Amino acid sequence: MRGEPFAAVGAAIYTVIVIMALFAPQLAPYDPREMLRQGRRIARYLPISSEHWLGTTAGGHDVLSQLIYGARAALEVGLTAAIAVVAIGTLLGLLAGYLGGWVDKLITRIADIALGLPFLPFMLVLAALTTPGTRVVIVTVALLLWPNTARVIRSQVLSLRERAWVEAARVTGCSTARIMFVHVLPQVLPLAALYGSVAIGWAILAEAAASFLGFGDPESISWGVMLQDAYANQALGRGAWNWFTPPGLAIVLMVLSGFLVSRGSEKLLFPKLAEQ
Amino acid sequence: MKRLCLSVTFAVLSAAASAQEPGDAIRPITLLTQPQAAAPQEYQAAEVIADAWRKLGLTVNVRPLPGQQFNQVIWYERQRWDATTWQMVGRPERSDPDELTYNLFVSANAANGYDFVGYKNAEYDKLAQEQREELDLDKRKALIMQAQELINHDQPYGFEVHPFNVVAYNKTIWDPKSMISQAGIGIRSTWTWLNITPLGTQKDVILNSVAPPTNLNPFNISGQQGSWAAEIVWDRLMRVDPEGLPKPWAAEKVERPDATTVNVTLRKGMKWSDGQPVTIEDAVFSLVAPGYGDKAPMYKPFVGNIAGVEATGPDTLTIKLKKPDAAFLVSSLSKLNLAPKHVWQPIFDDLKNKPQTAESIMEEHPVSSGPFRIIKASLNQEIVLEANPDHWSHPKIHRWIMRIMPNVEASMGALKSGELNFLADYTGDPELLKDLAKSSPNIEVSQALDIGFKFIAYNERRPPFDNLAFRQAISAVIDRKLLAEDAWGGAAEPANSWISPALGVWHAKGIVDRVPGGNVAAAQKILKDAGFVLVGNVLHYPKGEKETTEPFH
Amino acid sequence: MLWAVATLTFLLFRLMPGDPTLNFLSPTFTDETRTALLKSFGLDKPLWQQYLIYLGQLLRGDFGRSFLQQAPVADVLLAALPNTVILTLVSLCIAYAFGIIAGAFLAFRRGALVEATAIPAALATRAAPEFWLGMLVLALFAFQLGWFPTGGAVSPGGSLGSLGTRLTSADFWWHLCLPALTLTLFLQGLPLLLMRATMLEVMNDEFIVMARMKGLSRWSIVMRHAARNALLPVVTAFALGLGASIGGNVVIETVFAWPGIGRVLVQAVQGADYPVAQGAFIMIAFVLVIMNTVADLAYAWLDPRVSVGAHR
Repeated sequence: MRGEPFAAVGAAIYTVIVIMALFAPQLAPYDPREMLRQGRRIARYLPISSEHWLGTTAGGHDVLSQLIYGARAALEVGLTAAIAVVAIGTLLGLLAGYLGGWVDKLITRIADIALGLPFLPFMLVLAALTTPGTRVVIVTVALLLWPNTARVIRSQVLSLRERAWVEAARVTGCSTARIMFVHVLPQVLPLAALYGSVAIGWAILAEAAASFLGFGDPESISWGVMLQDAYANQALGRGAWNWFTPPGLAIVLMVLSGFLVSRGSEKLLFPKLAEQ
Repeated sequence: MKRLCLSVTFAVLSAAASAQEPGDAIRPITLLTQPQAAAPQEYQAAEVIADAWRKLGLTVNVRPLPGQQFNQVIWYERQRWDATTWQMVGRPERSDPDELTYNLFVSANAANGYDFVGYKNAEYDKLAQEQREELDLDKRKALIMQAQELINHDQPYGFEVHPFNVVAYNKTIWDPKSMISQAGIGIRSTWTWLNITPLGTQKDVILNSVAPPTNLNPFNISGQQGSWAAEIVWDRLMRVDPEGLPKPWAAEKVERPDATTVNVTLRKGMKWSDGQPVTIEDAVFSLVAPGYGDKAPMYKPFVGNIAGVEATGPDTLTIKLKKPDAAFLVSSLSKLNLAPKHVWQPIFDDLKNKPQTAESIMEEHPVSSGPFRIIKASLNQEIVLEANPDHWSHPKIHRWIMRIMPNVEASMGALKSGELNFLADYTGDPELLKDLAKSSPNIEVSQALDIGFKFIAYNERRPPFDNLAFRQAISAVIDRKLLAEDAWGGAAEPANSWISPALGVWHAKGIVDRVPGGNVAAAQKILKDAGFVLVGNVLHYPKGEKETTEPFH
Repeated sequence: MLWAVATLTFLLFRLMPGDPTLNFLSPTFTDETRTALLKSFGLDKPLWQQYLIYLGQLLRGDFGRSFLQQAPVADVLLAALPNTVILTLVSLCIAYAFGIIAGAFLAFRRGALVEATAIPAALATRAAPEFWLGMLVLALFAFQLGWFPTGGAVSPGGSLGSLGTRLTSADFWWHLCLPALTLTLFLQGLPLLLMRATMLEVMNDEFIVMARMKGLSRWSIVMRHAARNALLPVVTAFALGLGASIGGNVVIETVFAWPGIGRVLVQAVQGADYPVAQGAFIMIAFVLVIMNTVADLAYAWLDPRVSVGAHR
């Protein structure tokens, strides 16, 4: 893993973002929610300056501060969703692969239904049903994206099952559960982790799309909300590239680093290959 | 909790020294708004106002709710919310103040109707009723003025601004002198569509709309944009003229011999688009049909006061009202569409035993008698109207085409590129439009003060909003000038009444100056005099009052 | 399967805390108004009755009537569906054509610099939010340069007409350009990388090595053997991508005001227009399920090991 230049770059970007998130209060020059004033008037649409490295928004908020705090929302959504997807996918893939039989059939059936639901429409409807926000994004990602992980884990478990040391464990009387969770699971975890880093990216893109359509969490400061804010206030029409471009770039970088870290990303994006 | 104990302790200890003992701390207030993308100006105004309220020691959260939820909470859960942004839109029928004066503040509407803030004042109820029935113009004016002073005193709303209607058009295609500005609407008016004169070969008006109309049907009050089309497709007996007064239109003469009688003489020679002549029976039908059971629920309130309509001759009819109604000519006769009886009577008969209403019917080829006819109504994309050459006031253009373009940037670009030649529905930043006009010499921007207004609604069912001094104080810190300049980008005027200055006859001049604006000191004094206490940075109720209301969640 | 989706959809929408009558709020809105509206929407009946009516209608192919548009839902959906399908198909075809050729090329020409730039670039297009790409494309090509229209599917005064009319209308294609460009940009990364990866694998395969030993030129090997075998996963991805894109086009359709199913769904959800939202959702899910099945079938049919086995 160390030798891969792509993975190294990806890891580096991740580190930067994590630092941004952890040390946001120290790094951000202003409170991202504060409506800044110029005398009596609101400090709207200020251009790039030494006081505001990325200028201000239509509502008088500092863009750079929002960008830095946005890392928190991104990591929160990304990590939570990724963990959920990986947990569910790995667990179900493990069960389906190892136990086989009706368990396998049942899980595959449910996976088919999950794959039959269109992603964005489902998220929209769920958001309208409950409250729009990051929770809905995370739940949707978890509910609809686990099948891919499960498939790959399942096929790996299938091949692991026939290995000699598993046979040995069975013979010496280890319970099925013990074999699954203590012996097989650690073997598939690296693959699961790779999926996790891709899932982070999907989650962030989902959150951005949800925010753009007006179904995001309106109270959070995420990059997706920043883009929606800019769009609604016609930032492009004003040529406020300083407002509109950084959040988009931030999303690209973060999602990209997820792809880079998972070498062999092509296989993960298309799991049927792994089944050959 | 700890803070509460501390402040109470502090209060008790200083009781000997101070005469003002605080009650409980006021709970965090939630100010509801629509999401930023849906209404960016209102959202920004909410943030500014929340900031100002915090200076008084209140804890304020601005909370956006998505469209459906927003309406749901405000309308059906009236015990639940503290304050919200809201607005009243301008329509030609609101040129008469009656609709809003009555429905917004009369206590009968507090439970289920449009007095959703729960304002109850018997004196106001009396004024509202009187102005409804007062036919003498001067006397009625005095009543309306009194009503505005009363509302100013009671501050059930924190009025914000009256917005401008900002539109733009291509002045190399359309003669600027042919634009007719209607009071409270601007040049995007029916009169303009009837009078707009082409300068060159382009004879089609191509305008935009941000939202798709719900239906084009003479018994359906379409949304705002749909009504622009409906108004020129179906005629009415009267129309509101550019000064805001009702003038006979499909009627030749309208007379009011006494307080409850209206005599109408129908114009002769009018024809329906299917060739049939417009008869007096059609006119009678159009006034009576909305009252049929619940088949036209949105128009029904406007015929509610009609006791009976009778044809008294081949061109004349008489309307008998149940009660005197000063606004009848504007709110009903200028609003009810003329619909052909031979088409709609069978429809109404057919619907009698079905759950559907007449509003849901979409005619294959709508029959109308107005200056334009519907050629194509693809509701989500565009509406195409064609000029009616047989109409006595037939337009100078060939077609009127309304394109549905939800994207504000796209519509501006479309004006620039020539895809549109009239930007009629602009909800974006007015400064951007003016910049566009500066850089493109054939684009002309026009703005006019709207009849409508934007405001913060205070829910009087929940303390401290039931306290008069509190409401006066939180209204006093609203910096209306700042809102007009920054939140609305200069395309608005400070407001302190539901009646816009655009209605010169009815607006109480100078009413804006009779409420403090952006004045923190004045607000603090009002609160102090009423017994509210500032403990540290937190505002508390007057002595003995407990906070018993649950914060919004 | 489809029944499960249909029932799930029904429950989702009826449980939604939204009231379509609220779209008609006005100062003269009374309780009477609301009751009449509810009755005309069929919402005054108990939930189980509504469910049965809904199922019955579905079986007959009747999606009900829109609350807001006073038109049968089927009409609304059928007017919008072809637009989405055309946009998706056109974009996918171009994206895949480009991706396949570029991917094969990259597998053929390996080099540190090429890989260090091309792969992250392809990944980056996949990592960007679609609507952000769309806005940038719109700003540049429509606003700044004025080469393309700023939205919609047809110029003012024109009409969309039937499917045939649309396909032969130059105006329609002109309006299609920018949304298709954005979608293509977003989609090409997958086939590109996929093609490259599978090509690399196949190129090391035994029978390719044998072909080289036979003395065939590198290029002819690539084209005749490797490419054909590498195409299998790409074809499957195409089918899957079609299914996924139908629903995912929501964002592109919003940015460009393209009158497709995705946009219909968003507007219906926002306005609590249950029949339309349900109908759109079901239609999208239906397409997705079909395409998933097609993908599975295509995979089984095209798998070289299956055909090789048959020869043996």
